[in-house]
Amino acid sequence: MSEMTPETDARRLATESRDRVRFEEEALELSDQVYRVARHLAGSREEAEDLMQEAYARAFRSWRSFTPGTNLRAWLLRILTNLNIDRGRKKQRTPDTQPLEEGDYFLYNKLEESNGPAQDEERVVERLSQDDVVSALSAVPHDFRDVVVLVDIGDFTYADAAQILDIPIGTVMSRLHRGRRILKRELAEEAVGATDGR
Amino acid sequence: MAVDPCAKCEEVLQPYLDRELSNAEMLEAEAHLELCSYCRKRYRFEVNLRRYVRQAAAEQMPPQLKEKLSALRTPLL
Repeated sequence: MSEMTPETDARRLATESRDRVRFEEEALELSDQVYRVARHLAGSREEAEDLMQEAYARAFRSWRSFTPGTNLRAWLLRILTNLNIDRGRKKQRTPDTQPLEEGDYFLYNKLEESNGPAQDEERVVERLSQDDVVSALSAVPHDFRDVVVLVDIGDFTYADAAQILDIPIGTVMSRLHRGRRILKRELAEEAVGATDGR
Repeated sequence: MAVDPCAKCEEVLQPYLDRELSNAEMLEAEAHLELCSYCRKRYRFEVNLRRYVRQAAAEQMPPQLKEKLSALRTPLL
């Protein structure tokens, strides 16, 4: 057992304080990237801001449990998704258990059907507005949205997403698959439903 | 009954783009895409859609939030 003299104690405190400052700086540098994901994990901008503050406060308190050299962005998002899931459970929404009839061509077919065949097929996607995308994303049920947002917007690997959400990788893949289809159904509703006089 | 090749192609769209298919499945999908402009258009659309969703969803963090996060830091002794 090492002897704790006032000198070693002071050195230990200095090291710890340096490590903590470094951790906090790195976490703050990542905050733009974390926010980009948090914004769509949460249902609204206000919720995202609350969630960010809660998550960062918790991260700064428990910085010692982060292993240096591992993925800090994933670690921060794990805290954030846990907080978000706790909140979500409080105001539980009905999970999406309906059979999904629409396949992966559904959105393209709908866009083509309502606007006529595309002259320039590269531009079909521009028939969707930025608002359509934001509203459609927020309409995807939590479990599916979390995976779609982490992988397709946050650029996390399946393995990272599995770790962040604490679910098996196979579940990440099946939720991603279904979540993307639900997103396309919602996008079709946003884009085409509106022009149908909804 | 023979499986509709376009329905089969639609079924593997996501795993194909995510590079999760076996070699044999991938070659089968590519052989069909080579011949079928209907599926080809929809595959290209999917690639563009993924990129578009990523861009459309990108939102800058409000500067005042960044300040609030900085204020949560442990004060230096």
